[in-house]
Amino acid sequence: MADVRTYTLIYVVLLVLGTGKFAFFEFTPYNIALTATFLLAIVKSLLIAGYYQHLLEEPRSITYMMGIAVFMVLLLTIAAGYSIQ
Amino acid sequence: MSDLPPMTSVKRWLVTTNHKDVGILYLGTALFFLLLGGILALLFRAHLWESGGTGLLTGNEFNQAVTTHGLLMVFWFLSPFAAGFANYFVPLQIGAKDLAFPRLNALSYWFYLFSGILLGISFFQGGSLAGGWTMYAPLNVPTYTPAMEATSGGNAAVLGLALFVISITIGTVNFLVTIHRSRAEGLGLWNMPLFTWSWLLTVWMMLFAFAALLAAALLLLSDRLFLTQYFASEQGSGLLWAHLFWFFGHPEVYIVFFPALGIMFETFQTFTGRRLVGRKWVIISMVLVAVQSFLVWMHHMFLTTINLEITTLMMATTIGISLPFDLMVFALIYTMVKGRVRFTTPFLFSLGALVLFILGGITGVFLGAVVLDYEFRGTYWVVAHFHYVMVSGATALIGGLYYWWPKITGKMYSETLGKLNFAVFFVGFNLLYFPQFLAWETPRRVFHFADGMQIYHQISTVGAFVFGASFLIMFATLVHSLLYGPDAPDNPWEFSRTAEWAIPSPPPLENWDGRPSYASGRLEFANDSAAATDGGVAHSEASATAHEEEHADHASIWPFGIGVATFVFFIGLSGITSYVFEYAQERSETLGQPLNAAPEPSVIYPILTGLGLVLLAVTLFKFGVEEFNAPEMPVAERWPFEGVGNTKFGVWVFLASDVVVFGAIIGAYIFMRLHTGWTEWTTVPFASWPGLLNTYVLLTSSFTVILALVFAERQSKKGLLGAMGATLLLALTFMGVKAYEYGVKFSQGEYWWTGIEYSIYFVTTGLHALHVIIGVLIAMFMIYRIVSIDAYLEDHRPVEFFGLYWHFVDIVWVFLFPLFYLM
Repeated sequence: MADVRTYTLIYVVLLVLGTGKFAFFEFTPYNIALTATFLLAIVKSLLIAGYYQHLLEEPRSITYMMGIAVFMVLLLTIAAGYSIQ
Repeated sequence: MSDLPPMTSVKRWLVTTNHKDVGILYLGTALFFLLLGGILALLFRAHLWESGGTGLLTGNEFNQAVTTHGLLMVFWFLSPFAAGFANYFVPLQIGAKDLAFPRLNALSYWFYLFSGILLGISFFQGGSLAGGWTMYAPLNVPTYTPAMEATSGGNAAVLGLALFVISITIGTVNFLVTIHRSRAEGLGLWNMPLFTWSWLLTVWMMLFAFAALLAAALLLLSDRLFLTQYFASEQGSGLLWAHLFWFFGHPEVYIVFFPALGIMFETFQTFTGRRLVGRKWVIISMVLVAVQSFLVWMHHMFLTTINLEITTLMMATTIGISLPFDLMVFALIYTMVKGRVRFTTPFLFSLGALVLFILGGITGVFLGAVVLDYEFRGTYWVVAHFHYVMVSGATALIGGLYYWWPKITGKMYSETLGKLNFAVFFVGFNLLYFPQFLAWETPRRVFHFADGMQIYHQISTVGAFVFGASFLIMFATLVHSLLYGPDAPDNPWEFSRTAEWAIPSPPPLENWDGRPSYASGRLEFANDSAAATDGGVAHSEASATAHEEEHADHASIWPFGIGVATFVFFIGLSGITSYVFEYAQERSETLGQPLNAAPEPSVIYPILTGLGLVLLAVTLFKFGVEEFNAPEMPVAERWPFEGVGNTKFGVWVFLASDVVVFGAIIGAYIFMRLHTGWTEWTTVPFASWPGLLNTYVLLTSSFTVILALVFAERQSKKGLLGAMGATLLLALTFMGVKAYEYGVKFSQGEYWWTGIEYSIYFVTTGLHALHVIIGVLIAMFMIYRIVSIDAYLEDHRPVEFFGLYWHFVDIVWVFLFPLFYLM
């Protein structure tokens, strides 16, 4: 487990990244904001999962399992979306 | 040793959490639903005696019978029957004393039973669901189909399905933790018995596939109960349902068939006296099928408007999935060739299953080809094909019933009666389903067909009654065995090799006298407590094991209580549409749903909803505070999930399932937005600042939860209480902001039924809010426990488990915020 200082640092970074998403849509073109926001969302999720849920300290197989779950969602969403293009 | 009443007591069956008892409950209940589904089939087969029907059923009754027959057989018979065997034999085959979470196992069963009762009584609530077992949109909602008005019964059927899926999810978590973390010493995955292998892969598929079905069922319920528009819009709804349903539906074929396949492997080995030929490759093939099963779902959608590229790809993947099956079929055939076959009843059923499955598999390849599918789609070819596949699974499962009957009951059955049963079964089956290939031009789901088809339908109907009679023979054989059968020895089969045959028939409550171990390469029973005594110095781990296992609990009434409470709550929910409809009518001039769709209001439903909620609160609280000891096996094979406790692993498995549930619902939003045109989508929230504010609130609550864990580790009661209290307040703040946001929309006359964008916004953020509310309730319970008994200071793990859930809720919001407020 990490210490309180690390948790606090992660918290501050998460707040900044959360604000960043808002700022992108206020100050940059839509397509750039869209891409950048998804990237920020992925980074935020990885930080929460890795440090707050301690996924980094768990057996790697748990990460693989959660990765498969995320893959299933992407598979369904992307394939279904592609099927109507 | 045991706090369980005797097996002759009714109370025993209400309180038991023992895996063998729960297995028997599953088997008995599944057979009951088989009879119910079978009677419905006989009804509509009799109606199909002549084109246009014999008048036995009205049009809507025919639709209800066909729909609920399919639902009952696929959901309430096939998988639960296999689950019965899995409950009874998987712990025995891997050397465990019980499943990892015995109370959750009982809860799975009660949810299963009550979900089936919900479906059963739906017939008496104005009529059950009548849109086919695939529930295609918009047949699954009242729009456009005046004949299928929104009866409370239709709602109850879908609620029953949702409750069934919840039962499956709980069971899945339980079995994955058990098989991965409770295998006897020396029992690596490669050496696991093949039935357990097949069940392991089944539950892995269930974990992801049923989550998609739960998402689909929740959205459908939202449409039916709260008048949202997911499956009632003019564009995209049909495709959305098809994608969600078949993403579940195709893996479901293997979910149903794999346990049957496992039984075939076991019985072929036992009754040929030979190890399965190519055993390792068979396991690899099963793993391949489990993976590939998620890559073929659009072959059920060839006749929709999906593009040519994806249909071609799905045709290729469909052909690809047949290849591992070829290997498995040949492995079974070669096992027979290499061994010496004993034609016992279980073997005959397994062999019959193999023959029928080959026919079912070959006829399925036709449907996997796009060009042929244009001709065969929606005809009796499909009906015949999938019955040859699904009912061949049932054939092997009945073989399993005969195979394990002596172990479960301690009684042998009559081989003569068993063989008669098989003969009538096999003849009846083929008489019933083979003519349907010949009558393939008949459109399915209707009772009108060309004159030339009549003879085939009449043979099929005769076959249905012969097939039905075979089940009467089966029940007679089993009753005869119970009354007059000789006592079964520990192992009645000469060449059976799995661990369940090494103990008495029926097995004792605790399964084993010593600790099962395969460390020497064969099954042995280690006596840990004796070793510790002989050493003179206590062997801490082993002696602790012996001590703990003496105090393993086997009884709790609260799983049953939660089952009853959920049943009452769901029955109540099934009739609230009318009230929602009245509420909507008062606020909107035009509704998306037809005005004549709501049934007459009945005050009993809101009363039952409230009563169910109260009962749920009481029973869940009692469940939470009950002392129940289910010790982890201290010595076990746990690859690849060693280094994480049972409960924590269980929470992660649950979260993996929830990722797919939420992901599918977010995916539904993206799909519908793509269908509409990404930039033409109406953004529903009145401003983005409430979303940003709630982002800060949730992130802060994630921080306070992690602080709670830090304080729990430091055994600081004050700090723990403060951090949990802060989390609770932040969660309530989140809900307050959300309520304000919704309130603004309502004041502008915009509700969840206003249009598809509104439905998606309110349902997706509402489901997230429901997760927050559940988190609030858990946090309140934990604060109560900290105040009342200084909980979590000695053992801080529950705080960590709560944190895992709460952070997941936060991660979901990380995506919902930009998707709904910024884009």
